Amino acid sequence: MGKRTHHDVPSDAALRVKALESLLVDKGLVDPAALNILIDTYENKVGPRNGAKVVARAWSDPDYKARLLADATSAIAELGFTGRQGEDMVVVENTDQVHNMVVCTLCSCYPWPVLGLPPVWYKAAPYRARAVRDPRGVLREFGVALPEDVEIRVWDSTAELRYLVLPRRPAGSEGLGEAELADLVTRDSMIGTGLALAPGAAP
Amino acid sequence: MNGAHDLGGMDGFGPIAPERNEPVFHDEWERRAFALTLAMGYYGLWNIDMSRYARERMDPAAYLRSSYYEHWLHGLETLLVEQGLITREELDAREAELAREGT
Amino acid sequence: MPVLKAAHVEATLRKGGSTRVDTAVAPKFKVGDKVVVRNLNPLGHTRAPRYVRCKRGVVQRDHGVFVFPDANARGEGPAPQHVYSVRFEGDAVWGPDAPANEAIYVDLWDDYLDPA
Repeated sequence: MGKRTHHDVPSDAALRVKALESLLVDKGLVDPAALNILIDTYENKVGPRNGAKVVARAWSDPDYKARLLADATSAIAELGFTGRQGEDMVVVENTDQVHNMVVCTLCSCYPWPVLGLPPVWYKAAPYRARAVRDPRGVLREFGVALPEDVEIRVWDSTAELRYLVLPRRPAGSEGLGEAELADLVTRDSMIGTGLALAPGAAP
Repeated sequence: MNGAHDLGGMDGFGPIAPERNEPVFHDEWERRAFALTLAMGYYGLWNIDMSRYARERMDPAAYLRSSYYEHWLHGLETLLVEQGLITREELDAREAELAREGT
Repeated sequence: MPVLKAAHVEATLRKGGSTRVDTAVAPKFKVGDKVVVRNLNPLGHTRAPRYVRCKRGVVQRDHGVFVFPDANARGEGPAPQHVYSVRFEGDAVWGPDAPANEAIYVDLWDDYLDPA
């Protein structure tokens, strides 16, 4: 096994991470209990159900929706969702004229407090490369067909603003309460690669 | 820098192929790489812009053929070495030791 | 150095790390201004993607004043300045064969932009 240079990908990332963690623990630089809380937070506690609540509230309450579009950070904080990678939020609304889609071409920027950690496809080269180049093709791959006269807006998260799409409220959802509405809001609909579910549809 | 990470508009990567109902982490080592990165960032020895730059400086071919958390691992190792918290030699040695132990 | 302890993780995550800077800095642009992205090619870190360099767009929103990543990554401090949402039409970025009805919104700092 030759000398590793910065050109190499570790042949065994698992072994390398294990070595790194044990070294940092020995040096007193990490507390393993803190690591476990960090992991648990994003594996189990924070996820797209948060964003779904925001969307359901906006669909149900026109004043909340207005606040959300005017100052997303504050409106999202009303529901208790704040913090890392969501400190400065912008919500963009889908209409019958405009469909929004969010990407980070340069890395993986994503609104953690409302959506959790991003899926692999969002962070990988195919989406990052094509979202700004062929958004309609990307949407077709996700099974979303939009009329040609709908304008597609792709938001590249190049700064520290984090974007959340407010999907269109599905037809037939009138009269549903917020909890039932939240169940219609998929993660992909809040990225902009999907639409909210119709009531009664399988996810 | 005009690195491989600057992907907007590049062609040839094929389908997006999203995994349905994918887990947040696909391996235990991904969990640890994620948590170590956040925990070490807490010291304020680097800022988020420096941490992104560390990942961007990965060899372009290596960047494109490796996974997301391998980018994080590379970036963290780079930052720790550049800040003088570890040396590559001691990390290599620890890795070799663990490999010998068969863990 | 104080280690991040388990008991502090939640508070640390909730607080986050906004890069918004509470300093009055004059903006170079306003909503509606036509701008062109500078032909910058720094060896260091930048958040101006190659696909918009030298391309023309229109300022849609002024997000306010934030840390400037190019300087911050060099350890030169925040160099706070305005960040704008700039709208680029598809054909302005990809050429006349680009499909109609597609636009890209990119968040760009004052130092990335010139008036067009």
